[in-house]
Amino acid sequence: MISDGMAEVLRLLQRDEGFDAAADVAVLAAVTLGVTGLTVSLATGGDRAELMWCTDEAAGIFEDLQFTLGEGPGPEAVRGDAMVLVPDLALVRPERWPALSVEAADLAARAVFCFPMGIGAIRVGVLTLVRRTAGPLTDGQVGDAQVLAHALAGRALGSVVPGPNGAAPADSADALLHAVVHQATGMVSVQLDVSLPQALARLRAHAYSSGRPLTDVSRDVVARRLRLDLNGNGDGNPLPVSDKD
Amino acid sequence: MAREQQLTKVFVEVADSLIDDFDLIDFLQRLSERCVELLDVAACGVLLADEHDVLQVLAASDENTRLLELFALQYDQGPCVECYRSGRPRTNIDLADPNASQAWPQFTPAALQSGFLSTNAIPMRLRGRVIGALGLFQTRDSALSDADTALAQALADVATIAILQQRTLAHSETERGQLQYALTSRIVLEQVKGILAERWQVTPDQAFAAFRAYARSHHHQLSHLARLIADGEFDTDQIPRSPRHR
Repeated sequence: MISDGMAEVLRLLQRDEGFDAAADVAVLAAVTLGVTGLTVSLATGGDRAELMWCTDEAAGIFEDLQFTLGEGPGPEAVRGDAMVLVPDLALVRPERWPALSVEAADLAARAVFCFPMGIGAIRVGVLTLVRRTAGPLTDGQVGDAQVLAHALAGRALGSVVPGPNGAAPADSADALLHAVVHQATGMVSVQLDVSLPQALARLRAHAYSSGRPLTDVSRDVVARRLRLDLNGNGDGNPLPVSDKD
Repeated sequence: MAREQQLTKVFVEVADSLIDDFDLIDFLQRLSERCVELLDVAACGVLLADEHDVLQVLAASDENTRLLELFALQYDQGPCVECYRSGRPRTNIDLADPNASQAWPQFTPAALQSGFLSTNAIPMRLRGRVIGALGLFQTRDSALSDADTALAQALADVATIAILQQRTLAHSETERGQLQYALTSRIVLEQVKGILAERWQVTPDQAFAAFRAYARSHHHQLSHLARLIADGEFDTDQIPRSPRHR
């Protein structure tokens, strides 16, 4: 169960009131998670990352360093598709991250926790929590951080579409539980020769503009009743509507 | 085959897998198939809770999308959710009973429509915490005995151990990290089913059958191979498209 504090962070995130508000949300998230600062880096292809959130200098320096060196808990979390929790950097074997261990001694970061953001093979980026003091996160904080990473991934992938009355989720919370949505993502990526995140964005855009649930649109794609064109419209190659499966 | 012989086979298989570098999804799938044989049920699925406490399908005895969707329907209702929340097994639930359709208005008709008459849910437990559930479906009116339920619980425990055992690939020291890796692997697999289905112009289920046959015969781990394909680092032309005709 997520904490009340994190529930508030997610509410603010959903409201989306621009860049200045986002900075406040990031600070609130850090406080909720009991850390000194946090960063959110977006993968921009390859090993380079673009900083989307950065609450303070210490967290930013650590993030820059590990992505410059190409090693550390962040790159490891992204490559390994799982969180990497380092309650005390001073206790990490130097051979794990040789270059980082040389530099890290001078940094204000003592505990670092990295949570990959993504959906399956779609790797969006990484949420990194930094604390000046050593010590583990509580089980509840780990759960909160996972939920936050998931929400940020959804945002980066356009799960929230701005409407006339503010932001509205483009699909229901359970949509990503359905195998068929992921299958459709894979199919569209091949049909349009685009990346998996772009394919998911096309599916979402079509669901949103046609006013249908993402799962229904995905079922039609998988059954080859619907083929998206490059603009995400459903008239790429109209197929005769066959019986429902 | 006598049940004792079947059980012996399962034990050998489990022991072999868990000491080796094994693929979790493939292992759980085989385990689900064994559940079906040993417990004389029609279908079995392994469901794991995600960070939102929502159950996700990790593996099923039959990889057809229809069955996966039926398990996915249990994200907020159904015997598996109740079993996950209470930590107690729910056995021999008659799906035709009006109470079932009242308690789970979406799940029950969908299960009946798939031809299932009764269902069971067995908790997956880890040190007093419940991390998921094993779902069992029957197409015949035959109740699980106490001995069957005890065996189902043992198989659920094996599934839990396997999830925590996949250290070599997950590279994660934490249990939560391992659970997360397992859930991500499942999604990658679905994305790759779609990629292959479109490349080969077949259904995702057919694509998966060919993909799995190739992975097994070449000793590739399903999850690893799926990640390579999704990242465009594996030439999928190497995979024969119809495994049955080789």
